[in-house]
Amino acid sequence: MSIAPAKILASLSINGSVVECAFNPNKTLLEVLREDVGLTGTKHGCEMGHCGACTVIVDDLPVLSCLTLAVESIGHEIRTIEGVARDGVLHPVQRALAESGGAQCGYCTPGIIMSAVALLEQNPAPTREDVAQGLSGNLCRCTGYTKIIEAVENASAELRSAR
Amino acid sequence: MTVPGTVIGAKWPRGDGHVKAAGSARYTADMMIDGALSGVVLRSPHAFARIRRVDIATARALPGVHAIAFSGNVPAKPLDFSIKDQHLFPPDYVRYLGEPVAAVAAETEAQARDATAAIIVEYEPLAPVLTIEQALAQDAALVHPDWQSYERRESSVLEGNVCGRNRIRRGDVDEGLVRAAHVVTSEFTFSAGLPGYIEPRCAVAHAGKDGTLTVWCGSQSPHGNRDDLAAFFDLDPSKVRFINQYVGGAFGGKILMAPEMYAAALALQCDRPVRVAWSRHEDCMHAFPRAGGSAVFTSGADADGRLLAMRASFVFDTGAYIGYGSGSALIATMLASAPYRIPALDLDGTLVYTNKHIAGPVRAPGAPQANFAKELHLDELALAAGVDPLDFRLINAWQDGDLSPTGQRLSSVSVREALEKAAAAIGWGRPLPALRGRGIAAGWWFSACGTSQARVRVNADGRVRVISGNPEMGTGAAAQGLPIIAADALGIDPANIEFALADTGDEAPDDGAHGSISTFSAGQAVAAAAADARDQLLAQAESMLEARREDLELRDGRVVNAEVPSVGASFAELALAAGGSIEGRGASSGLADPEIDESLVQGHGFAAWPAASFLATAAEVEVDPEMGGVHVVHLATAQDVGFAFNPAGVIGQIEGGAVQAMGWALTEELKYEDGALLNPDLKHYLLPTALDAPRITAIIVERPSEEGPRGMKGAGEPPVTTPAAAIGNAIRAACGAVPHTTPMTPERIWRALNPNLRA
Ligand code: FES
Ligand code: FES
Repeated sequence: MSIAPAKILASLSINGSVVECAFNPNKTLLEVLREDVGLTGTKHGCEMGHCGACTVIVDDLPVLSCLTLAVESIGHEIRTIEGVARDGVLHPVQRALAESGGAQCGYCTPGIIMSAVALLEQNPAPTREDVAQGLSGNLCRCTGYTKIIEAVENASAELRSAR
Repeated sequence: MTVPGTVIGAKWPRGDGHVKAAGSARYTADMMIDGALSGVVLRSPHAFARIRRVDIATARALPGVHAIAFSGNVPAKPLDFSIKDQHLFPPDYVRYLGEPVAAVAAETEAQARDATAAIIVEYEPLAPVLTIEQALAQDAALVHPDWQSYERRESSVLEGNVCGRNRIRRGDVDEGLVRAAHVVTSEFTFSAGLPGYIEPRCAVAHAGKDGTLTVWCGSQSPHGNRDDLAAFFDLDPSKVRFINQYVGGAFGGKILMAPEMYAAALALQCDRPVRVAWSRHEDCMHAFPRAGGSAVFTSGADADGRLLAMRASFVFDTGAYIGYGSGSALIATMLASAPYRIPALDLDGTLVYTNKHIAGPVRAPGAPQANFAKELHLDELALAAGVDPLDFRLINAWQDGDLSPTGQRLSSVSVREALEKAAAAIGWGRPLPALRGRGIAAGWWFSACGTSQARVRVNADGRVRVISGNPEMGTGAAAQGLPIIAADALGIDPANIEFALADTGDEAPDDGAHGSISTFSAGQAVAAAAADARDQLLAQAESMLEARREDLELRDGRVVNAEVPSVGASFAELALAAGGSIEGRGASSGLADPEIDESLVQGHGFAAWPAASFLATAAEVEVDPEMGGVHVVHLATAQDVGFAFNPAGVIGQIEGGAVQAMGWALTEELKYEDGALLNPDLKHYLLPTALDAPRITAIIVERPSEEGPRGMKGAGEPPVTTPAAAIGNAIRAACGAVPHTTPMTPERIWRALNPNLRA
């Protein structure tokens, strides 16, 4: 018989705000974001660390939220897809994906965007291989990756020229 | 300035691009419905067993449990497929490992899982039938011991483990082979493969007190599913509503209902919504995969490489039940000799039951398999004849006026153009470094048009809304294609058009998104609805502006006087004047089947292919002979779509199809041991990653069909049908050998290169 552990009350720092929430300590960050915080932009494709759909950024690094316990994220800065746009204006990576056809079914898209944003923050001028490497943990079944890689390259050029 | 007729054919961003990039597009699992119970399915641990007893009493009494559905309390009738061989929960035998035997709805998922564990099922395990050879053996055990009592459609075939058989015969093959200067025989085996969508399936169902049932899901065919579900549970279809959410990829894998049925079965037994959300593991255990199978080809050509005769025989493994699996064998025989002139043909396809997963209509069912076998085989014949593979194909390619294998007169044939463009794109004939090679493959496909109705509504705020029951499953056919078609008729930017996700409550029925059908059927309906809306706008403007119809035109969301464009009325003003909105209605007009020669076919219900399309893929690969590894350098597909309504969408289909096909060619394989699926996850079932993605060149060929709207031909499925074959031929060109088995793994390539060595 499964025993449900008692919920804990914790504050998580998500997209620049402190969020108080109660959750079971055995829950993953993915589950807490989606079920307890109500941020369903982060997707699940496997919950085993194989697909990348659940990628979020924790302290500037891309992290698979399905392999991270929510309690591990206490005290760290969590960024999700909902926090990437500023005041309703899409981030250049988001805009490039939306406009280029890099999002077909769109299910991989939030995870791809988080990986790409983290990549461009670390490496503002990636080569095509760097981009492919940076996205190699994010499966996409629809696009063949061509438009996704192009979109990230275009966004990187735009970000650099804006600097 | 946007005026009618200037939108179609240009590249536009997708209407759903923004919400998807922002993370706000809602998929079924994102719906957090208040009070929803968690539904969990109990699955068979045996590949084949007799069910002696199912006892739910203990489980039903467990805390939190609200309903348990099993064979004892759901309708006893079989599901309505061409052969009525399957029940929602089998009453007598389980026929694959993972087959549902019961489902539980409980307050929490953990409680539901505990309850499934407490259901008592007594099985008497039987020796399973696991391979085609076992299924076809003289003394084979029967997957369906009671097959003789099954109801089935007249067109179906059923004889023990054989559940499909078709044949196409023309001319005298033996005579052709005797006359041939070169004769080659080749044998192939194909792996079963997942559709591979990234969103695991999920459905929520809620039965209202008023006899209604609402199902939220991500279906490829919400109207068809609604009708089937209503019929199964004896409900009035008008009281059942399917509301589609965004769909996270489908590829034919979300045509057959799955969680929808279990959620509904449970919801009908309790007064709360029930959510059935599958894990990746469960999704793999309940996938409807691309069918595995085998093929044998013998063909002959004259001394110049002209094809004279072909004999080809396919067997596909459709798994435990027929479902929608019968397409593979039908399509395979239609592809086996095409698109080439071969005077004498004997092509047959057989479908067999085994105790494995139910094969499904994965994107172009049967086609990557058939083209892989046919194109590798033809390269072997070209090699024997000493003719360059591209020349060999050009010599034999269909031309206008030729006959299809079933005697259909072909028009707007673009095989040569497709071959030449694909070959040129990868530099065919130019020197290559050692261990690099190029390969090419061609194919053909059909167009289909279902029934579809649509409305185009101009609201009082000037917004235009397209309402169609065609589901958006990721291709953009609904989110991008339909707004483009409406915008073209109305002379506005497609960005000003809202599109609706399919909802059977909208009363815009549609046959669904499968068979490369969407732009054909829903597109025609939307075009007609938009033309109707345009006529109403013009009529309204006539009276409002006191102008004659011939002096008016549409421009940027206004109806204006063509001579004095400053005089006019906006769509908003016209809609307001018309009482708040203007709504145009339209329906698809269908597509007549071309004539065929019935004397050439036996047991083939899919032998006439309207608005036929053609394509070719050329591949360049690099092989590592030590390790057997393959690096696909470049894939170029030239695809004839007749007329590209939405070129960006076509390119997306070609690029995505190329990498899907590459996965099936090189890494993707459902592996079984004793009937158990060994790789039901994305770590051991290998989808291509960004690092594997080759350079892709997508070439749109437009040779208008006589039948399609503006000459269009179906576009969604073909791109997945030829790349595996092109890759196989390129591997042989690179290293001198190629496995005749998919996926062409490093081990198989190494063995093909070292036939006399043991690893
Ligand atoms: S859901 Fe986390 S990697 Fe797939
Ligand atoms: S867009 Fe569908 S999985 Fe990437």
